[in-house]
Amino acid sequence: MPNGNGKDNYPQRLREIIEFFEYLPEDEKRENLIAYSDNAAKQEPREGEVFDLEDVRKDEECTDTVGVFLKIEDGNRSLFRITLGPHVQTLTRAMTAILCAGLNGASPETILKIPQDFVPTIVGGELVRIRSQTVYYVLGRMKGICKVYLTRRESGKLSKPKPEHA
Amino acid sequence: MNEKFNAYARPEAIVDTEWLSQNLENPDIRIIESNEDVLLYDTGHVPGAVHIDWRRDLQDDDIRDYVNPVQFAAMCSRNGISPETICVFYGDKSNWWSCYALWAFRLFGHTKVRIVDGGRAKWIAENRLITRDIPKYPSAEYPVPEKRLDDEIRAFSKETLTHAEAGKPLVDVRSPGEFCGEITHMPDYPQEGVLRGGHIPGAKSKPWSTAANEDATFKSRKLLEEVYTENLGLQPEGDTIVYCRIGERSSHTWFVLTYLLGYSNVRNYDGSWTEWGNTVRAPIEKGD
Repeated sequence: MPNGNGKDNYPQRLREIIEFFEYLPEDEKRENLIAYSDNAAKQEPREGEVFDLEDVRKDEECTDTVGVFLKIEDGNRSLFRITLGPHVQTLTRAMTAILCAGLNGASPETILKIPQDFVPTIVGGELVRIRSQTVYYVLGRMKGICKVYLTRRESGKLSKPKPEHA
Repeated sequence: MNEKFNAYARPEAIVDTEWLSQNLENPDIRIIESNEDVLLYDTGHVPGAVHIDWRRDLQDDDIRDYVNPVQFAAMCSRNGISPETICVFYGDKSNWWSCYALWAFRLFGHTKVRIVDGGRAKWIAENRLITRDIPKYPSAEYPVPEKRLDDEIRAFSKETLTHAEAGKPLVDVRSPGEFCGEITHMPDYPQEGVLRGGHIPGAKSKPWSTAANEDATFKSRKLLEEVYTENLGLQPEGDTIVYCRIGERSSHTWFVLTYLLGYSNVRNYDGSWTEWGNTVRAPIEKGD
């Protein structure tokens, strides 16, 4: 759970990714971003999976359609799956794989509170400058679906998840 | 060379993917990828291709201008490009950025330039070979160009204003929505800081995509002449300025008019709408 300042605000898995990228030189950041982008397709929904919420749409901030699928598992743990259209750019693909790896398992409340200041640490200042409006896009979509989930759950439209060891 | 290319005014400036696949080892050429997607080259590229990034390699952010001749010569040298090297450009987004890079090379007087018809998308669609290996070429000697051809193929805002006031041909190659002022950014793209929507007074709308087929290849000369010469009324010998948002889509049209149709006096206003739309006292028009 995030509580406090700095890296304590991030879920453990995301924190590990941030720490991995933090001191990499720009060229090595790019190499690792490419490696993550290669894994973006693995974040798609698996056959037979059922989700609490699905949000598939094309926004101006991204060059193609992005689908975000959320299931809240026992223990209030988020499971994200994401589909990307063929024209989605490499940096967004990389952020998709990074965020799925870093945020799966965190609660929707935690995800909503995550500050977005870790993104420049991961992608590097140059890419943020060039792509300032798109590097935050997938995180915004994931936060957005969590917010909808929590709103609906509070209004009773979605059932509360069981405690982890119920 | 295929029949379509032979009909173009300057067929030497365009090659197809098959030609490229047969010339990967050709020592006289340098294959250059230029993209909008800044990481795309690293995910795989045509074997032997070098990456020219339009921001990193061609622009000087300190003065919002292109690199100077010394920097250009150094960039060519480290990529193994000499003045005699045939630079073969390809890229994503229907070759927007490869046309932009080609135009920038022409700014420095590099004459041996070619575009791969269909660009990266066609190469990939044909399941041709790609690699992540970054090629290393021996440095080449590239004498510092004496000047940049700003007067010949580039237009600045003051020149564009004079041009517009004189009623000379001015082509806005952005989307109809941008031209009318309904939106201030490309469709499907985020707003990038332009304060006003509309177009330069007197400009005619002819979106860049008019010149391209669905597979990113260029249309035939006959169709291009119908679009630009017959319908838009441009004259091959006329003084024409093209512009878009930041000069990349208009580079595509500049290439079409200059190389495929053989127009002799086309300039690209690379400051384009991001400059004009924000410039104090620059007049604009809205609507069709």
